[in-house]
Amino acid sequence: MGLDLRYLELKRKIREVRMWAIQGIAEAGSGHPGASFSAAEIMGTLYFRRMRHDPKNPSWDERDYFINSKAHSAPGYYSTLAVAGYFPPEEIKTLRKLGSRLQGHPVRYSDHQKHHSVPGIEYSGGSEGIGLSVGVGIALASRLDGKKNRVYVMIGDGESNEGQIWEASMAAAKFKLDNLVAVLDRNRIQQDGFTEDIMPLDPTKNKWEAFNWQVFEVDGHRVEQLMDAFSRAALIKDKPVMIIANTVKGNGVRHMANSPQWHGKAPSKKHTPVLLEELESEFLIAPSIIAGEKENYEDKIKKAEREGVELIHLDVMDGRFVPNSTFLADTIKKLRPVTTLPFDAHLMIEKPIDHIDEYIDARCDIITVHAEACTEKEFAVIQERCLAAGISPGIAINPKTDVPKWLYPYLPDLDIVIVMSVNPGFAGQKFIPETLPKMVAVNKELREHGFKGYIEADGGIDATTLQPVYDAGARIFVAGSAVYGNSDIHSAVIHLRHKAAVTLEKRLLEHSTKLGIRADWMKARKNILIPYASELAIEEELNAIK
Amino acid sequence: MLLSSEKKTADMRGAYGDALVELGKSDPRVVCVGGDTTDSLKTKKFGDKFPERMFNVGIAEANLVSIAAGLAIAGKVSFASTYAAFIPGRAVDQIRNTICYPALNVKLVVSHGGLTVGPDGASHQQIEDLSTTRAMPNMRVIVPSDAVAVRHLIKTIANTPGPFYMRLARPTTELVYSESTPAEQFTVGRGNVLVDGSDATIIACGLMVGKALEAAAALKREQGLAVRVVDMFTIKPIDTGLVAKCARETGAIATAEEHNIIGGLGSAVSEAAGETYPVPIKRVGVKDTFGESARDEEVDTLLEQYGLTATEIAKAVVEARSRAR
Repeated sequence: MGLDLRYLELKRKIREVRMWAIQGIAEAGSGHPGASFSAAEIMGTLYFRRMRHDPKNPSWDERDYFINSKAHSAPGYYSTLAVAGYFPPEEIKTLRKLGSRLQGHPVRYSDHQKHHSVPGIEYSGGSEGIGLSVGVGIALASRLDGKKNRVYVMIGDGESNEGQIWEASMAAAKFKLDNLVAVLDRNRIQQDGFTEDIMPLDPTKNKWEAFNWQVFEVDGHRVEQLMDAFSRAALIKDKPVMIIANTVKGNGVRHMANSPQWHGKAPSKKHTPVLLEELESEFLIAPSIIAGEKENYEDKIKKAEREGVELIHLDVMDGRFVPNSTFLADTIKKLRPVTTLPFDAHLMIEKPIDHIDEYIDARCDIITVHAEACTEKEFAVIQERCLAAGISPGIAINPKTDVPKWLYPYLPDLDIVIVMSVNPGFAGQKFIPETLPKMVAVNKELREHGFKGYIEADGGIDATTLQPVYDAGARIFVAGSAVYGNSDIHSAVIHLRHKAAVTLEKRLLEHSTKLGIRADWMKARKNILIPYASELAIEEELNAIK
Repeated sequence: MLLSSEKKTADMRGAYGDALVELGKSDPRVVCVGGDTTDSLKTKKFGDKFPERMFNVGIAEANLVSIAAGLAIAGKVSFASTYAAFIPGRAVDQIRNTICYPALNVKLVVSHGGLTVGPDGASHQQIEDLSTTRAMPNMRVIVPSDAVAVRHLIKTIANTPGPFYMRLARPTTELVYSESTPAEQFTVGRGNVLVDGSDATIIACGLMVGKALEAAAALKREQGLAVRVVDMFTIKPIDTGLVAKCARETGAIATAEEHNIIGGLGSAVSEAAGETYPVPIKRVGVKDTFGESARDEEVDTLLEQYGLTATEIAKAVVEARSRAR
């Protein structure tokens, strides 16, 4: 993608948002997890990346505006603001309580509402269908003042039942507001049920196009697609832009996902630690395109993209740091236009410091260099250049390498550590079991020294080895032969995801048992657990739950 | 000289349009949003002079007031205008949540308040607006009595941050104030004593102020009563001090408004007197019923039928006095 995405840090912050939101809702005993979660990537991409704003100066004259028209997503919105630095996240636990600044629906911050709001909130929402009109007003005023800023309005599909949405839509087109970008959180669920049953909205895209908007459609949980759409929106002249973000209501907690009953229901407070563990366990699959048949990289990328993988893993080998050679930056540059999926480049090269600019220039999203291939000084420069370019920096350690002590000061800004589970250099090697306890220890050591990023397991990861590395703390799985070694890539990816799901469900069940809420958890989770019942050996137990 | 000495009529809407143009010249923050009624509201003049600051959003009042709110969020002094039937009528929720709750700098200036709308009939005769807007926290509610008051008050509300609702009449009305009345005379939250007296007080707003003056003159002529007349152009915040003073000094109050008897000026005065210096009060207004069509030349008869006349006000004064202890 290469759009100053700093992909992994963005993903982590959005994960934090979900974790704070669920704590707030559970503490309050009410609130809307569904919309908070469907909109998490939309708001996160805006606040952590796209928007020009300053938490230290919320009323900055040149700021971009964000109007949250679907204000019942308040827990997610507040959490986003908090993680962005507008107020301390701990305050989210006061959500909806008497005396809290965090009202059930957000209130515009002003002198007379400072006890019921936090700086940064521009608009008092809660009544549906109004925010787009307000955005039109702000966009008109901004244009009048000759400002270069942008107005982002997030609307819901439920609130699109309101006629005023379409009044605003006509007005925005009439006034040719190309400084206005609307994002539709298309999660297909409203309070009473599915949108297409309550009041059909489709064909949504045609409607907005007919209203003279430029329309882009994206997967609203893919930050790279959202970023790409925001960039494209900036190029549109004389028309407002609608980004239809197809989302999953409740995305992040499996039993809440796509379930109308979780539109506006709080989870039991007792479940919070388990829910937090689930949110923390979000994982990414990164197929390595050097696996399988030789080359044909473009085709492999497209196939993996179709299967919904999160990353493309690029094993760069120079024939010197490792005996084998694959491809270098020029190939990555050629592959870049093939997909919007983030490129996870693993540089197995000598002297990466001499080549880092080539990989930045090739628009990788993650660049990981080997601890064995650089000095502290060199790594400092590499990390700095990556961060300046909006790239997630990473370090890889071979099976026999320890985390170098010089790395500690760099950990807070490090987004990924690859713990090699084979000796690098070839595809198709066997997983080294001794690397498992090492991963646990490395994870612990890193966290103790301020690492907030992802652990990536690389080498011999397949449906069998995925389970232990997932439990050991890895959250990115590089799968080479396990994906491309198969003639049926579709089933291979499904199989990996299934294994990950079983592993997660097992871990969550164990957690709930420790907390003494196993039966209660299983009840909340029943529909999710049914397909895994035999693998988890809980068939009878599950049947006994009404 | 407070009162107009000669019988002269002027158009409140015209005064609004002119005042808006003047404001536009001195304050670049002033913008206006209209809803397919800009010709009627006389905001077209502003649009002709400042086309980039005038936004006609068509027949979509909820959108209209919300766009006005957005303009205010981005620092504009935002005027939103159409007929009273539609603002607040069609946009009560947006006015409450989007404008009043955050106390945005939006000025809702509407015309066609009350029965004098005439031929369009009850659908357009807004008689609940003062009640609706008065009940909203942070809102201030103004009903000027003539074009002179409009000219001054438009300036005042533009320069006072926060939401205002101002209701103008459709017809050309007789001037109550002399053209030279100083601006200080029109302070939000302060009523004007137009005629002094100690036997009773008539507190009126809008075009009923003219009728209140007529009623006071008739009571003086026919019964020798010295009746005080107050132009209470601010319905909210009501001038409680003045109401209490009138109650204490004159012992009886009649109110007069071109609005349903429920929830408007009469209610506000009753509340203020009741909590400070209770005296008998008689309210003159539309008696909780819908109006009906009347051609322009029949409007006086329409007002008679619905009890909005100087005679009714005079009767109300006598009745209130009769109950005084």
